[in-house]
Amino acid sequence: MERLPILSLITYSPLVGAVVLFLWGNASTRAVRWIALIASGVSFALSVAMLLAFDPSQAGMQFTETFEWLPELGIAYRLGVDGISAPLVGLTTLLTLIAVIASWDPIRHRVREYYITLLLLATGMLGVFVSLDLFLFYVFWEIVLIPMALIIGVWGSANRVYAAVKFFLYTLAGSLLMLVGIVALYQEYFQQTGIRTLDVLELAQGNYSPTFQFWTFLAFFLAFAIKVPMWPFHTWLPDAHVEAPTAGSVILAGVLLKMGGYGFLRFNLPLFPEATQRWAPAVVVLSVIAILYGALMALVQRDFKKLVAYSSVSHMGFVTLGIFALNQQGLSGAMVVMLSHGFVTSALFLLVGVLYERAHTRELAAFGGLARNMPIFAAFFGFFALASLGLPGLSGFVGEFLALLGGFQSYRWAGVLGTAVVILAAWYMLRVYQRVALVRAPGEPPDPDDPELRMAITQGVPPVAGGGDADQHTPDPRTFPDVTWREALTLAPLALLTLWVGVYPLPVLDVIELSLRAILAAVTGERM
Amino acid sequence: MPLRLVAPEWSLLVPPLIVLGTIVLLLAIDAVSERAARQTALPLALVGQLLALASLATIDWGEGATTFGVSYRADWFALVVSLIALVAGILSVLVSAGYTESGLEPGVGLAEYLALLLFSVLGTMVVGAAGDFIVLLLGLEMSAVAVYALTAFARRRLTSVEGALKYFLLGAFASAILIYGMAWVYGLTGSIVLSDIAHTLRTVVTPGQPLDPALLLALLLLAVGLGFKIAAVPFHMWTPDAYQGAPTPVSAYMSVVPKVAGFAAVARVLVQGLQPLSEQWAGLLGILALITMVYGNVVAIAQRDLKRMLGYSAIGHTGYMLAGLAAFTTGLAGDRSVGSVLFYLFAYAFMNIGAFGVIAWLQERGLGTTLDDVAGLAGRAPLAALTMAIFMLSLMGMPPLLGFYAKYYVILALIEAGQLWLAVAIVVMSAVSAFFYLRVVTQMYFQEPGGTWRPVRTPLLGLGLAVMAVATLALGLVSGPILELAQRWPAALT
Repeated sequence: MERLPILSLITYSPLVGAVVLFLWGNASTRAVRWIALIASGVSFALSVAMLLAFDPSQAGMQFTETFEWLPELGIAYRLGVDGISAPLVGLTTLLTLIAVIASWDPIRHRVREYYITLLLLATGMLGVFVSLDLFLFYVFWEIVLIPMALIIGVWGSANRVYAAVKFFLYTLAGSLLMLVGIVALYQEYFQQTGIRTLDVLELAQGNYSPTFQFWTFLAFFLAFAIKVPMWPFHTWLPDAHVEAPTAGSVILAGVLLKMGGYGFLRFNLPLFPEATQRWAPAVVVLSVIAILYGALMALVQRDFKKLVAYSSVSHMGFVTLGIFALNQQGLSGAMVVMLSHGFVTSALFLLVGVLYERAHTRELAAFGGLARNMPIFAAFFGFFALASLGLPGLSGFVGEFLALLGGFQSYRWAGVLGTAVVILAAWYMLRVYQRVALVRAPGEPPDPDDPELRMAITQGVPPVAGGGDADQHTPDPRTFPDVTWREALTLAPLALLTLWVGVYPLPVLDVIELSLRAILAAVTGERM
Repeated sequence: MPLRLVAPEWSLLVPPLIVLGTIVLLLAIDAVSERAARQTALPLALVGQLLALASLATIDWGEGATTFGVSYRADWFALVVSLIALVAGILSVLVSAGYTESGLEPGVGLAEYLALLLFSVLGTMVVGAAGDFIVLLLGLEMSAVAVYALTAFARRRLTSVEGALKYFLLGAFASAILIYGMAWVYGLTGSIVLSDIAHTLRTVVTPGQPLDPALLLALLLLAVGLGFKIAAVPFHMWTPDAYQGAPTPVSAYMSVVPKVAGFAAVARVLVQGLQPLSEQWAGLLGILALITMVYGNVVAIAQRDLKRMLGYSAIGHTGYMLAGLAAFTTGLAGDRSVGSVLFYLFAYAFMNIGAFGVIAWLQERGLGTTLDDVAGLAGRAPLAALTMAIFMLSLMGMPPLLGFYAKYYVILALIEAGQLWLAVAIVVMSAVSAFFYLRVVTQMYFQEPGGTWRPVRTPLLGLGLAVMAVATLALGLVSGPILELAQRWPAALT
């Protein structure tokens, strides 16, 4: 069949950009940025075309490509997308494009190397989502590690080397065990059928013994749980996020964490249905802990970025809760939370980046009253803060509602606890909005018309101090200029998507539904 | 049996003879004119080995023809070993380019250096083709003695002489033990021909029964002797000193080719000759593999000198390869054990010679060999840093680099043989090894440069490094044919 290998084109166009940059040693900084923009733009445009051509009425893989690679070992170059991976491919290309634009001004040294690394990272991530061969998948999975660690370690902030090495070793340790799991699976299938293959779809047809499933599930689970990250494997995440440059955080939160959730859906559930049912209660417990823990930790952070990072842990808890609730609502919810988290948390990291560019600090105490001199910033921030806390009408609500509904159906207590946490989310998100956008900036004299102050004068109540213990050297937030058009350009599409998925989620749910139903049928053993 | 004199089948001997001819030519030119030797030696050594490599294609290896009676075998195994030895030899000559141009003392010739190197390659080829103990031992010693001399090549530097002496003493000791073991086997089976030994043992040994103590002693002696040659723990003592002390290009060479010779000898002696005892030796190798990989990788963490670190990491890799051999299972169809080890050696040649090559490249530029010396390399020489990073990540086993495929095949062999515990051990040790390999990358990319920097041109060394980096990067993707070739070993050894 002569057809455009669109998935390969999407996956490798960033790589082509990286190779061009690598070979063109004396490219000007301007040219470097434009090449990166074009490469990621092409990848994005192609993925949009792919999504438009995607047929939601089909549960199977679409746009498949297969080439023999190492036939003796059953390894082939197999690509394809279904309703789970197609939206994630779109998310990845979009966020890569946004990351390229968001790095335009902030990255000033080793620009060429930076964009090479970023484009390599994009190819790795896309490869993870489109691979249908376990070997190929593993290759891409590991490729992602190196550029991400480099982005944190070279272009990050003060404690970057520690964070980069921690990130690398944590995720490497997890994925190496998955490698043993992959080979064991391959061997087990060979012994049963006499066929050597690493084709995910074919391996899912196998009938593995409960003990075997138990252990291989665990091998895969660890790799994905570290990536998600689930409590208690999350400790690399705050460090990595805090030290990474803005675009690095966007990619990390927007795409890398989704690789874990995707791994559960694509591999753990269909390959090991019995083990999934056996492990599910334990995973749900961990998920609820993650939801609670992330929210509580977010409440006490003084560092803006760390706060968003811990809120990520909490949100990703909804993903794993939804997945391991093992019902249609839960799975759909998990998928929507993944997408929504990709929009909203990435946007929040971009907003932190906007502030960091101006203040060179992320201490919450250094900010205040930004709604006055940065109205557009405050509007975006308010919007995404509301989306993050799950305001109905925005994407976060749809996903979390479905995930909680699913959780409630399977484990009543988990649904109840998870719902309670939504209040915590509102608390920390609104508190940070108030801190950054509304209250007085540090050092600002009290407003004589302030009703609070008047009350203080008449009743002897001390007024709330503006700012507090902020560093004296940080610039005055009252002088910050509003977002530039380039910064607005990175935020606007995410806002539109958040609104769209929130108001009219049906097209998204349509795309994911059949594929999720197929996975669910595989787990529960029902025929479709 | 009446004595008959039969002319050897010369056509089977073309590749080693070309190497031998090159050596003779090198020494002859050196004897006539030292100046001429300086100019021609390097190209000559390269061309000679390339010719030998090309001549491999002239022989039909599938026939498994033998000559000198059955002492010399031209089978698939011999082909793959020769191939690896020659490729590693060529790469080593390229890596030596910088050193031999600038670092040699007067009176110690370039031609001598290259002749010794080629002698060792020749010895390794002979081990691969050995059909009996005598030829095996000849090849092994030819390979080793030349490297003892090479280790001491920086003869005015104490560490170089110290490393060479340790290497030599322990190597000679190991040879003695090995020969003693061979004598026992001869005494018990009445033959020194590997295939005959296997045949005789098959009639003596019943599976599941405890072994005759004499046979067990012979097996242990052989294992100890060979263990020294491949630097398996606890017979590894010479490795770090020799690696650190030797001139860096020599370290590059001896981290690979003598190891190829050692593993070829292990495969010939144990897999072919003592195959009926595989139950015993596979278990023994499994334990040795575990100890070796754990020790090498853990101790490497504590090293600050890169050459020493690579010395310990080489011990770790020996452990992985031993694990591959331990996967040997009698009667398992499609057994990958020896094939995976051959592929590993092939991959290892590129990445390890490459890693030492980068160190040699840095030394040419006036830097030392410690971790601090590579600090900030990425800012100073981005391509060199990228090359080193590729080798480090490949040694670590990161996909899609060559080292990953090598490790993958070993793990595959182990799991197919049902030895899950060794596969898990390899994976865990790979994670441990990430500590020290990654530290080099961290130093190069995340730190500020220090030390003096002397820009010089080393085109040939640069070319060699580029070849190895590209091979490490891309060869894995097309590793099918090489793997297929390595996988033909059962036709030769069983």
